[in-house]
Amino acid sequence: MAVTEAAEGRALAVSSDPASPFAGGAVGEVLAVELKDLVFSFRGSPRVLDSFSMTVPAGRLVMVLGASGSGKTTLLKLIKGLLLPRSGEVRLFGSPVRRRGTRGRLSPDIAYIPQQLGLVRSRTTLENALMGALGRVPSWRGLLGLFPAATVRDARQALDTLGIGHKSAERVRSLSGGERQRVAIARALVQRPRILLADEFISQLDPATTMEIMQLVRGVANSGVTVVMTTHELDVVERFAEWVVVLRDGTKLLDCPASEVRTSELAAMMKP
Amino acid sequence: MKARLNVPLAVTLVLGAFLLVALNDVGLLDGARIQRGLDNAGIFFADMVPPDTSVLPEVSRALIETIQIAFAGTMVGFVVALPLALLASASLVPYWVTLPVKLLLAFVRTVPAILWAIVFVVMVGLGPAAGTLGVALYSVGYLGKIFYELFEGTDPEVMEAVRGVGCGRLQLARHAVLPEASNGIVSQLLFMFEYNVRASSIMGFVGAGGIGYYLLGYVQTLEYQSLLMAVLVTLAAVLVIDRASSFVRAALR
Repeated sequence: MAVTEAAEGRALAVSSDPASPFAGGAVGEVLAVELKDLVFSFRGSPRVLDSFSMTVPAGRLVMVLGASGSGKTTLLKLIKGLLLPRSGEVRLFGSPVRRRGTRGRLSPDIAYIPQQLGLVRSRTTLENALMGALGRVPSWRGLLGLFPAATVRDARQALDTLGIGHKSAERVRSLSGGERQRVAIARALVQRPRILLADEFISQLDPATTMEIMQLVRGVANSGVTVVMTTHELDVVERFAEWVVVLRDGTKLLDCPASEVRTSELAAMMKP
Repeated sequence: MKARLNVPLAVTLVLGAFLLVALNDVGLLDGARIQRGLDNAGIFFADMVPPDTSVLPEVSRALIETIQIAFAGTMVGFVVALPLALLASASLVPYWVTLPVKLLLAFVRTVPAILWAIVFVVMVGLGPAAGTLGVALYSVGYLGKIFYELFEGTDPEVMEAVRGVGCGRLQLARHAVLPEASNGIVSQLLFMFEYNVRASSIMGFVGAGGIGYYLLGYVQTLEYQSLLMAVLVTLAAVLVIDRASSFVRAALR
């Protein structure tokens, strides 16, 4: 299974082959994400993140764990630029994320899948996938919904690869949970991101669908895209994580290769 | 032991007293007057039947004009309200833009359609044009508010996810805000049309066209049978439009 894009000088693929030439280890030690001494709090509330630092090499699949309220979602939103830190620095591929208003245009290089997926339910599967291209097609095309034929072809191909192509004309509201997950991943792929952020997006799926979706996420990571996802599912961490970060009350408890920590230890650390 | 104030009882007593004063001041506690009113109502309703069918052609033409005023006013109001509502939506544009637009919409909405119609009668003269503009302006205020509230209620995760692809505000409105609010937009538009048909039926009272001109004329010349015909025709049209609108809105849910 493979979708490969060579446009814009950047490869994007979904590959189930861990030995893919784009696999995480082969990308080298370029740092995709560098967070330094991040402090964040909502106005008038206690700190959600406190002096948080972390680095993520390009192409790695990192899972961020922690109890509810530990700051996982905030962390992803800071990386995406949806929130701005009170202090500290966010660097993506070596460049500092420019401070801009919370309503400014965000970088299409970072795809973000929120917990409830953020799909537009009244639109079709294909239309949702095409939204991934809005950041790189001319504005007038985006406004009129006149996407270039090549972009439409990409979106259809991504949907086909994710096994949802036969439902491209169906509205998202009529899809099952697992199908919606696939549409959200397709939208992220059409975006051609360098980093994929996914916020507990498998939390409401049955175990079989969770494994299928995680295989697809691993395929994305194998294609060279850096994946940072938050989760509560320890079996998913055990099977798919390359690197684990554990948060508690906005501070980092653990930051190490997944192979160096036992599931029982993670479970103990995740207790509130 | 300290006596505790019974708040619900106190509120009920205060409201009850206020109601009695109000009813007395407006004359509805005057028994003789109420009795006189009931007697007059009997005479009035007796004089209304049977309805005068000879006025049906002119009443029907006026009704069609009323529906035209309502439809044109609603659509013009919609076209103006939609962009204004986007500019008033705090999820799309900054506070310094939304605040003046919200204030403008609040001002327009505060004045009833019939008062706007009086203003337009002065500006463009007697006739349905003034009524249409009055209905349109009120619709701008009402739809504008409802729409910006719909837009601001868009699921924040949808907003974040679509913003996250790197699009601008216009694209965000086009691909996330408007599609998410589309059912609500259509539903409110139909409701506005229903409301405007009723509002347009009295535009003629101030010379702004429609069946209101005939309703007022029949009252002033004591032609109660003709009045009943006009009221029945209006009622039938409003009921048909209400049912059709309710059916469409239920289908959208």
